[in-house]
Order: sequence, then C-alpha cells, then structure tokens
Amino acid sequence: MESFEPYEEFKPIPLPVLIIAVALALWGVFTLLDNGKAVTVGRAERSDQIADQHANRQNGAELFVSRCATCHQPNGSGVEGAIPPLASSPFLKASPEVAMHILLNGIDGPIRVGDATFEGHMPSFASVLSDADIVRLVTHVRGTFADRHDLLTEGDVATARLLAGRRGAWQGGQEIAARLDASLGPQPPMSSATQAAIDPIAQKLVSQGNGQTWACASCHGMRGQGSASVPRLAGLPAAYIAKQLGDYVTGKRRNETMQLVARTLKPQDMRRIGDYYSVMRAPSNARASLGGDLVRGERLVLDGDWARGLPSCVSCHGPSTFGVAPSFPALSAQHPEYTAAQLTAWVSGTRDNSTGRLMNGIAARLNDADRRAVADYLATLPPVPAPATRGRTNGK
Amino acid sequence: MESEERERVEGGEERARPLMGRGVRTAIIAIGGGAALFVIASLAFDAGIFSDRGEVPMSPDVAQAQMFQPPAETSIPDGPAGDAVRRGQAIFVNTASNAGDFVGNGVACASCHLDSGRRANSAPMWAAWVAYPKYRSKNKQINTMEDRIKGCFTYSMNAQASKSGGPPPAGHAVYKDLETYMHWLATGAPTGANMPGAGYPTLEKTSLGYEPARGQKVFVAKCAACHGADGAGQLDINGRIVFPPLWGPNSFNWGAGMARVNTAAGFIKANMPLGQGSSLTDQQAWDVAAYIDSQERPKDPRQTGSIEENAKANHGGDSYYGKRIDGRLVGVGTP
Ligand code: HEC
Ligand code: HEC
Ligand code: HEC
Ligand code: HEC
Ligand code: HEC
Repeated sequence: MESFEPYEEFKPIPLPVLIIAVALALWGVFTLLDNGKAVTVGRAERSDQIADQHANRQNGAELFVSRCATCHQPNGSGVEGAIPPLASSPFLKASPEVAMHILLNGIDGPIRVGDATFEGHMPSFASVLSDADIVRLVTHVRGTFADRHDLLTEGDVATARLLAGRRGAWQGGQEIAARLDASLGPQPPMSSATQAAIDPIAQKLVSQGNGQTWACASCHGMRGQGSASVPRLAGLPAAYIAKQLGDYVTGKRRNETMQLVARTLKPQDMRRIGDYYSVMRAPSNARASLGGDLVRGERLVLDGDWARGLPSCVSCHGPSTFGVAPSFPALSAQHPEYTAAQLTAWVSGTRDNSTGRLMNGIAARLNDADRRAVADYLATLPPVPAPATRGRTNGK
Repeated sequence: MESEERERVEGGEERARPLMGRGVRTAIIAIGGGAALFVIASLAFDAGIFSDRGEVPMSPDVAQAQMFQPPAETSIPDGPAGDAVRRGQAIFVNTASNAGDFVGNGVACASCHLDSGRRANSAPMWAAWVAYPKYRSKNKQINTMEDRIKGCFTYSMNAQASKSGGPPPAGHAVYKDLETYMHWLATGAPTGANMPGAGYPTLEKTSLGYEPARGQKVFVAKCAACHGADGAGQLDINGRIVFPPLWGPNSFNWGAGMARVNTAAGFIKANMPLGQGSSLTDQQAWDVAAYIDSQERPKDPRQTGSIEENAKANHGGDSYYGKRIDGRLVGVGTP
C-alpha cells in the first residue's frame, strides 16, 4: 500500500521560524565558543591554584594571620582569661624545638605564661601543616614575639613528626618543662582530669551497627574523620549530632542514606552516639580540593563581608571555627565537598534545619566561588581539640 | 490485514492521515526551536552573559552600601601612624586583653559597635569621629571624644569592676590609640556633618507599648540560641566569649546607654539577631529590649545614695531603673 507522501513535497518553512532558526544557530555557535573559552580559562586557573596549595607560598607572617591570629591575636596579646599571649612568652624564648613540639601536638591542661595560668586547648597542627610551614611559623613567631632567631630545619620537624603521632597533646606546662626544656621554670601540674569513659553501646553502634543498618564507621570512618561528601563527625557537639539525626528522621534535613540509617536509631541512641563522637579526637584528612580562592575564603571566614550583610563565620562558629556547643558545629577540618554541598543545600531547600534559620541567610549571600573558597579554607584549619569533658559553664 | 497493521505501527499516524503532516511539522519545529532557545538561553545565563553572577553579591545590603565606606583594613599605613591605628583596632575588638586594666565585664567595644566599629546603624566610629566635640545631655556639657570614650568604659565596659577600678585616666594612651583608629576610619568623611548611619536608629513607639513578658517570648525564640537562656552569653572550648552577655554580673552596667529600652530597641532592630538585622518587627524589638533591660546587671556607678535618689537624678524616660517589677526593685545591681 504505497501512498503519496505529502510532507516530502517542498513547502517553505514559515519565515518567522526560519529567522528564529538562524538566530538560534548563531547563538549556539557564539555560546559554545564563549563557554569553551571560559572552561579552558577556569581549568587553567584551577590547576594553578592547586599547584599553589601544594607548594604553599605563604610566608611565616601570612601563615600566622591565617592559622594563629584568630586565637593569639594579630599582636600576640592572646585573650584575657582564655588564650595565652605569645608576646614575650617563655615558651617562645625557649629552644625552637619547644614551639615545634607545641605545634605538632597541641596542649591540654594548665600552663603558665607571664603571671597568668591558662587551662585551654591548643590544637595540634600536625595534620594540616607541612614541615616547611612549621619551620616558617616557628621562625616567624619566635622572631616577632620573643626576638629569638636560632633556626630549625625541616629535618628536625620530620623527625619530631614521627614521634608526634604516637603521643597525644602535651598534658600541661609541667610536662612540657620536664620533657622539653627545664629553663621554662615552674609550671602547673596536670590536674587529675577524669577522661570520659567510652560508652560500649555507642561504640558497638558505631563500629558494628545494630543489625538493621550499616555501622556508622563503614562510611564515616573508624575515627569519625569522614571523606569527601561523607562528613567528619569527630569533635562535633553532642547535641548537634543528636539533633541532625532527629532532623533526618523528620525530614527537616533531607538525605536518603542518612534517613535510612537514622530511622533505625532510638532517641537515646542518638544522644549516646553524639556523646561518643563529641569527645573524639582525630587528625584531619581533609584537603582543599575545590580550587577555591584560599585568601578570599580566609577573609570571609575571619571577617565576613558586611557590605552584603554577611557576618564572619567565626562570629557564630567560634574562633578557628571550633564550634560553640550545643547549637554551632565545628567547621574546621571538614571535607570541602561536604561543606560546599551543605551551603548549596540551604539555598536549594534540602536543608532547612538550622537554629533560628540562621544559616539560610548566610548561605544565600554566598555565590559559587565563595562557597568553594570558604570550604577549601576551612579544610586547611586544624581539627577541634575536642575536650574530654564538655560543657564549661559561663561566667568568669 | 496483517501487513496493514504493521504499516500503521511503523509508518505512524501521518501516513493514514496525510493532512496532519504540515501542522505537526510546524509544531515540531516550533517546540524544538523553543526548547533549543531555552537551553541556549540558560547556558548563556550560566556562562554569565546576562548577569555577572561570579562577582555580584547575591543579596547586596543596599542600605549599607549607600553609607560612608571607611577604608579597607589592608590600607592601614606602615610606620608609627599605622602602628597606632592597629593598636587602637586591637583595643576596640579585644578590649579585655589590650586595655584589660579598665574592663570589668565580658564585652568589647566591638560587641556593640559591630564590624570593628565600621557598621552603619551600630554607632559606627567614622560617624562618631566627625561629630565630636559635642554637647551631651547625659552630663550637660560639651564632650570631647575622650569624654565620650571614657563614658563607654565607665558604663558599657563596667570599669568599676576592673583591676584599676575605673576608666583610663585623662590623656591615657588607650584614648590616643582609639582616637587614632577612629580618625583613620573616618578618612574622607566630611567633618561636622550629620552622617547617615550614625548612632543607632530611633524606633517609633508602638501603640501597644513595650512589655518584658512579651519580650521574653521573643528572647527565647530569637536570641537564646546565641546569648544563652540565662542571658549570660556563651563561651568556646577555651572559655573565650563568643556571644556576649546581655545581663548579669558580666554585662554592661545600669548607667550604660544600652540599659535604656529605647537605645537597646534601636540597636536590636538594626543589628540582631546577628546576620538577620531588621528581621524583627518594631514591636518585637521594643519588647525584647524591655525584657533585657528589666533584668539585673552591675550597679550604676553614679549611685551614691539610694536607688530612688539616683533614679531621679540620672534615669528618666525608657528605663526600668528604680521601678518595681512584680515587687522586685530594679537597679540594685549584681553581686
Ligand atoms: C583555637 C585557638 C588557638 C589557635 C588557632 C592557636 N592556639 Fe596556640 N594556644 C591556644 C591555647 C588555648 C593555648 C594554651 C593551652 C593550654 O592552656 O593548655 C595555646 C598555647 C600556645 C603556646 C604556648 C603558650 C604561649 O603562649 O606561648 C604557643 C607557643 C602557641 N600556642 C603557638 C601557636 C601558634 C604558632 C599557632 C598558629 C599555628 C597557634 N598557637 C594557634 C589556642 C590556640
Ligand atoms: C552509607 C554511608 C553512611 C552510613 C552508614 C552512615 N552515614 Fe552518616 N552521613 C553519610 C552522608 C553521605 C552524610 C551527608 C548527608 C547530607 O548531605 O546531609 C552523613 C551525615 C551524617 C550526619 C550529619 C553531620 C553533620 O555534620 O551535620 C550525622 C550526624 C551522621 N551522618 C551520623 C551517622 C551515624 C550516627 C551513623 C551510624 C548510626 C551514620 N551516620 C551512618 C553517610 C553515612
Ligand atoms: C548567624 C550565625 C551563623 C553564622 C554567621 C554562620 N553560621 Fe554556619 N551554622 C549556623 C548554625 C546555627 C548551624 C547549625 C545548623 C543546624 O543546627 O542544623 C550552622 C551550620 C553550618 C554548616 C553545617 C555544618 C555541618 O557539619 O553540617 C556549615 C557548613 C556552615 N554552617 C558554614 C558556615 C559558613 C561557611 C559561614 C560563614 C560564611 C557560616 N556558617 C556562618 C550559624 C551560623
Ligand atoms: C554595651 C554596649 C556598648 C559597648 C560595650 C561600648 N559602647 Fe560605645 N556606645 C554604646 C551606646 C548605646 C552608645 C550611644 C549610641 C546612640 O545613642 O546612638 C555608644 C556610643 C559610643 C560613641 C559615640 C557614638 C556617636 O555616634 O556619638 C563612641 C565614640 C563609643 N561609643 C565608643 C566606644 C568604645 C571606644 C568602646 C570600648 C571601650 C565602646 N564604645 C563600648 C554602647 C556601647
Ligand atoms: C546568631 C547569634 C546571635 C543571635 C541569634 C542574637 N545575637 Fe545578639 N549578639 C551576637 C553577637 C556575636 C554579638 C556581639 C557582636 C560581635 O561581636 O560582632 C551580639 C551583641 C548583642 C548586643 C550588644 C552586646 C551586649 O552584650 O549587650 C545586644 C544587646 C544583643 N546582641 C541583643 C540580642 C537580642 C535582643 C537578640 C534577639 C533578638 C540577639 N541579640 C540575637 C550574636 C547573636
């Protein structure tokens, strides 16, 4: 049944359609060219930045501003009653190894600087600074604040780093004086702090699961460090973790995997797991990886951008973004893929659970470049030196 | 029959109804063209041809952008002048460490003058600098900038509880450094002018008036996550104040401007909750200010005799000082 096919007959395409088609073709070519160019330029810029990060070109003074000044202050004054001064500190006047060991291990417990005693937590930078960075920093802070100029080599740092992993933070000034430099004079002893006992129920849930779902550790890692888009949990506030698990169940925060997991947990399990992770210390395994502009990230995190109504991240997430329990999570050492994804989630509405909806407005004021910049900068900060006992009370 | 069936399936409807062809063809071109246009347009939008989204902030703070813009921090000059600016800035943001002898509480200058004294509508220092010396009704005389700063030490920083027991003595370096910082912030500002964004905004009274009980609800919903349920502020793991106290022994004292409901309401409306300025209604701002300013705080250093006498001499208008709330006399001070 061969039939005549009318639509193969020549029939002019209506003029308006023709015009549109030609215009479209031109547009297409133009956009392709332009896009292609942008992508090439973008790629080149990105690999430049990554190269920069590998060969960290920050000098000692810049490293000090980006890693230390938020706590010890730009002029080294410290913070009355909380952070010891670096200016004229005996720890800097002592041999350069003292400062090096402090940077590698951090300090818990009481130390005496000048005529004041401090009982805080100096973070360990071992997992976020290279040997060369540590040499530059030690040289800078000792030269600037203590007028000491004897040198440390990268070899010294590399050797010390091998030992650093095996011991935890220095336990107060007395241990530092006894082990590293007797010239530090009398230092307060470590008070017999009671280490929080490990909760066996939480540990089992984390490492083996509850029979209905996977073990948390299978994704978040044995030490709660996470990777890429699976977040680091170690050191987050207990109440924050419990709240997130609850929010996955109610759907205020949407993520299929975690919703499946969280639905199998009883509320008391959520609290237990929160407590478990909140006192966990683990080195950082996060690396700046989104090609973000670290300088821009640093400015947004430390100063904000008030011209567009953006307070600094540290004004809520605390100095060094170590968090403020119970509502404000730590952001430091978090994986940039995860951080950037969360900042997008607030804008797209898949996450709408922050206290007072505080993060909605913040996230809406960041553009894509900002998100990559802050996420990458946060990944260069040391992990929270989670205190074994949480919940210091207010007041002097 | 069989082959007819097959042909209908394979050849489609047009074969059976030839006249539909033209219309369908046009429709396909139109729809296809439309879709292509859409795709290309969105690609172009993505590539930033229509708007330069890479650089333009997503929600610029228009009101702030129209105000005077102080110089960027990176432009602090080198040398002794720049050092004095930096010292002043350090005192301003970290007052307890850099002027610790004169600070008797847990706030810093920057707690009430946001963004290191730069933020319009939070009594920015660039606007203050060009407005002094001026007459103030608080002490009924011409005040120099040093007098003004001394006032903030005496009341807002509660200097009576500090190591030295009072504000910095006249001519002290703390004043000089702070003034150098302010002078630098005001680079390019017209002198003697009444600058937009100066001071805290004045809020119109509402028809309902203000009431602490209503304010408590606002406080719990909008403020407690940061300033703590007890208003005492919150500390980080090192015991450092992240969210400053709003009342109690570690807060500003009864002589401070912030202890007046109208002043606090103006500040809160423009600046709080942090990052969500102007989100409260005027009514909420008045009520929550009333709630905060009806709580107890360090005593008024001007009080020599009874609270009633001091109330008459120094407190009028929108202050709870010397009044009674549920039988409690307000203004007795904190231990
Ligand atoms: C999160 C805040 C924080 C950051 C960031 C930080 N520190 Fe510390 N640092 C502390 C605290 C708190 C102590 C006191 C610890 C204690 O009381 O046990 C301390 C102690 C020290 C000490 C010994 C005491 C003294 O004052 O001399 C040195 C040296 C030091 N830090 C150097 C640095 C350097 C260099 C950096 C940057 C790489 C840095 N810190 C970053 C909080 C911090
Ligand atoms: C199959 C992999 C997987 C398992 C198993 C898993 N998680 Fe997660 N978890 C994720 C991912 C992916 C996210 C990020 C989800 C998102 O984007 O909201 C996440 C997010 C979280 C968060 C939010 C963290 C934050 O910083 O806000 C918490 C809390 C959490 N998980 C706890 C747990 C606990 C507790 C368990 C075990 C009971 C567990 N997870 C098991 C993959 C997993
Ligand atoms: C006004 C206070 C405030 C400021 C300023 C702020 N945040 Fe937050 N942020 C919060 C709160 C509250 C949460 C907790 C959300 C929740 O409870 O689910 C949060 C959570 C987050 C999280 C999720 C962490 C996680 O583990 O899932 C990220 C990422 C984050 N903030 C990034 C930032 C960045 C980047 C900045 C600065 C550009 C910033 N925040 C500034 C209040 C703030
Ligand atoms: C508890 C809040 C608070 C603190 C802390 C505080 N101030 Fe103030 N300050 C105020 C108030 C309220 C005003 C009056 C603003 C108004 O009425 O518009 C003011 C006004 C000023 C003014 C005059 C502004 C103008 O435009 O006339 C200067 C200058 C000033 N403060 C400096 C300082 C300095 C310096 C410090 C730190 C030593 C400080 N303040 C700490 C609340 C505070
Ligand atoms: C997201 C956290 C956050 C929320 C929510 C918040 N504040 Fe604040 N507030 C701050 C911070 C931080 C400062 C100090 C400013 C700075 O250091 O940048 C401050 C300062 C203040 C001050 C002046 C300093 C002082 O100690 O007296 C007052 C008054 C105040 N807030 C009142 C309020 C009120 C009322 C609300 C609720 C409507 C509120 N705040 C909500 C974070 C917050």
